[in-house]
Amino acid sequence: MKRTMALWLVGLLAASGLILAQSAVGQQPTAGGVLTFAAGSDPDSLDPQNTQSNPGEQVNRMMYDNLVRFNAKMQIEPALAQSWTQSPDGLTWTFKLRKGVRFHDGSPFDAKAVKYFFDRVLGDEKPFKASLYTPFVQGAQVLDDNTVRVTLKQPFAAFLFRLAHSAGAIVSPAAHQKWGKDFALHPVGTGPFKFVEWIKGDRVVVERSDAYWGGRPLLDRVVVKTVKEDSARVLMLESGDADLIINITPEDIPRLRKDPRFVIESIPTARALFITINVKKKPFDDVRVRRALNHAVNREAIVKSIYQGNAEVIPGIVAPLQNGYAKLSGYAYDSKKAKELLAQAGVPALKVKLWSPKGRYVKDFELAQAVQQDLAAVGIEATLSTMEWGAYLSATKTPAEQTDRELFLLGWSPSTGEAHWGTFPLLHSSQQAPKGDNRGFFASKALDDAMDKAGTATSDKARLAALREAQQIVINDASHVFLISPNMIVGASKKVHAVVNLPLELTYLTEKSWKEK
Amino acid sequence: MVTYIVRRLILLLPVLLGVSLVSFGLLQLVPGDPALILAGEEATEEVLARIRHEYGLNQPLPVQFLAYLRHAVTGDLGISIQSRQPVAVLLGQRFPFTLKLAFLAIVVSATLGVVAGVIAATRRNSTLDLAALLGSLVGISLPIFWLGLLAILVFAVKLRWLPAGGTGTLAHLILPALVLGAASSAVIARTTRASMLEVLRQDYVRTARAKGVDERLVIYRHALKNAMIPILTVFGLEFGYNLGGAVLTETVFSLPGVGRLIVEGIFARDYPVVQGALLLVATTFVLVNLLTDVAYAFFDPRIRYD
Repeated sequence: MKRTMALWLVGLLAASGLILAQSAVGQQPTAGGVLTFAAGSDPDSLDPQNTQSNPGEQVNRMMYDNLVRFNAKMQIEPALAQSWTQSPDGLTWTFKLRKGVRFHDGSPFDAKAVKYFFDRVLGDEKPFKASLYTPFVQGAQVLDDNTVRVTLKQPFAAFLFRLAHSAGAIVSPAAHQKWGKDFALHPVGTGPFKFVEWIKGDRVVVERSDAYWGGRPLLDRVVVKTVKEDSARVLMLESGDADLIINITPEDIPRLRKDPRFVIESIPTARALFITINVKKKPFDDVRVRRALNHAVNREAIVKSIYQGNAEVIPGIVAPLQNGYAKLSGYAYDSKKAKELLAQAGVPALKVKLWSPKGRYVKDFELAQAVQQDLAAVGIEATLSTMEWGAYLSATKTPAEQTDRELFLLGWSPSTGEAHWGTFPLLHSSQQAPKGDNRGFFASKALDDAMDKAGTATSDKARLAALREAQQIVINDASHVFLISPNMIVGASKKVHAVVNLPLELTYLTEKSWKEK
Repeated sequence: MVTYIVRRLILLLPVLLGVSLVSFGLLQLVPGDPALILAGEEATEEVLARIRHEYGLNQPLPVQFLAYLRHAVTGDLGISIQSRQPVAVLLGQRFPFTLKLAFLAIVVSATLGVVAGVIAATRRNSTLDLAALLGSLVGISLPIFWLGLLAILVFAVKLRWLPAGGTGTLAHLILPALVLGAASSAVIARTTRASMLEVLRQDYVRTARAKGVDERLVIYRHALKNAMIPILTVFGLEFGYNLGGAVLTETVFSLPGVGRLIVEGIFARDYPVVQGALLLVATTFVLVNLLTDVAYAFFDPRIRYD
């Protein structure tokens, strides 16, 4: 009785949903077609446990699934795992897996495949992304075909976020055993699209996997082309050679927006841009000087004039779309206060070195120039210099005794989408360069403790509270000159629908994406 | 002739050794850590250590260089740090694109350049001559990058005649070949004009005309053939240069050629790729020069190589 009622209810809801969708959109998704997506770089690898850059992650998200995934609001939702439970002490997670799923090579997806994933990242092969899991995962056990138990070394509140990371994609054990090191050239997953070919430096082609557990994909094929030159990508959209492009420069946006053939979306991201301060160098060890630097910058003007509104002012080091972001108040633009603080610290006229990359982040050098001007207005003479990205990375990672760096622009987007990874690598005292990414050598016991609490929390409430505390400490201590979170700008032909734009700066297609004829 | 060719080919070896040494040295001088670049901002110390160990980046430089040479002579040019693929395979995939593009470009530039140069020379100081000179000046001065984007804007976006970039069909190579060829044609036109003017002054040309030979035969069969030596030199240089990878054209038109491979390899400090690619470029350049020299003998029977 209950079951038939439930079925009726579902039927009714589905029907009304369809009717609503029809009337709202007035368009039926059509099956078929090839979608050409022009991205800015070639993937480095198609083996998810070894992929280190966004272009590779984007393609992987079309070919693979994880146990859990992010929805558009960066919240966790089920994927290959239908449900999960956590033991009260936080050390054991049990996942119930989706039944009847197969990899593209026909082999079954089951608990053994999930165990294979954990064995691989914890074992001797040491894939590049293993360190996402090795510090806290003990191992995995197969309980039955569709149930797997994962044991942790210590409670880890952000475990699900690590599983939703692109590196948590489940690969076919059969294919990985067959191809070994060459697996990246023969990727096999459970995703809506399966691999066709990869011409390095040119394109990756994937085609629909009819048996996909989420439903037969609407698109026949997706061609991801590597188009390095920004203007060339925009021209490809305009000429029709590409249906979807990413990383559009702000200058091209007004012209494209006026064109009725295209839809340009400016999407907030989880990325934070900031100026790291070398707190071991005088006078930056004085918190008053650091606060002065923060008060000197007019962030709102920067968002308006440099980013044309395609960015957001952020109070600290964490961007709003990072899970765990706390809406705290940052430093107000107050040049008078800045001058006062500098005078109190005994450095009314300061000469500083400001470094910035060029072309690595959206409008990075222009951002640094704006900061330079703002600093000049409060009596700080900043010499701005740039270097090529590879050299910049090395120059900002040398240990404190070997460097003369003072202020340098950097960006950070935690690929796990949550604030612990958005803060820990940059500010925990154990992560000071050259070991980790704490390139300003910041060290605060209070922050370390808050981070450790956030990391081992066993409830969401405790995790979020500890993260909030950490973010407040960071803002108070003014470890960086906090700046903005830039948007990602994606352009598509009006004929393209249901593209996924994840705030992790990842754009990709799913089984629901479609293209009008 | 054959001994000459064999001798020239043997000389290839010291050239390659020298190129290896210089490229290795220069790359090591550049600041920047390939492991850091590969691993990205979120790299942990263990990942960096693993990359460095795998590629022998921690070993003393002479050891690294000798190991490289040892493998190179057997044809193993190492593994790319960025893509973890054998360098020889990568070069094998990218070189055909560069070869096709360079070949088409030289056909375009040879046709355009020689014809323009001959017209300029035979109608000296006329408006056509001035037009050709001006055209070639513009061609040499215009940045190829800008010309490429303009070509895409006009032919791909506005007119929709050709694709805006990428690969797939011969049509994808037309615009890049035209753009690349246009730049080279300017040099060829000027050289052709100068060389033709020199030849047209010669006595035998006057004799041919006096004999009553058709003017077209005079120009193309007698004069041009004798004017070819300097023109061939420029052909060879331009072709060799394009085979080294026309990186700006490749970038604008998104062609996966050797030029982009080298530049991207330099930015990533991908030492094996850059070294391997430079060896390839040096080899092609030497071979093209050899071809040019052999071609001289074809055009001027007085040139002997034994």
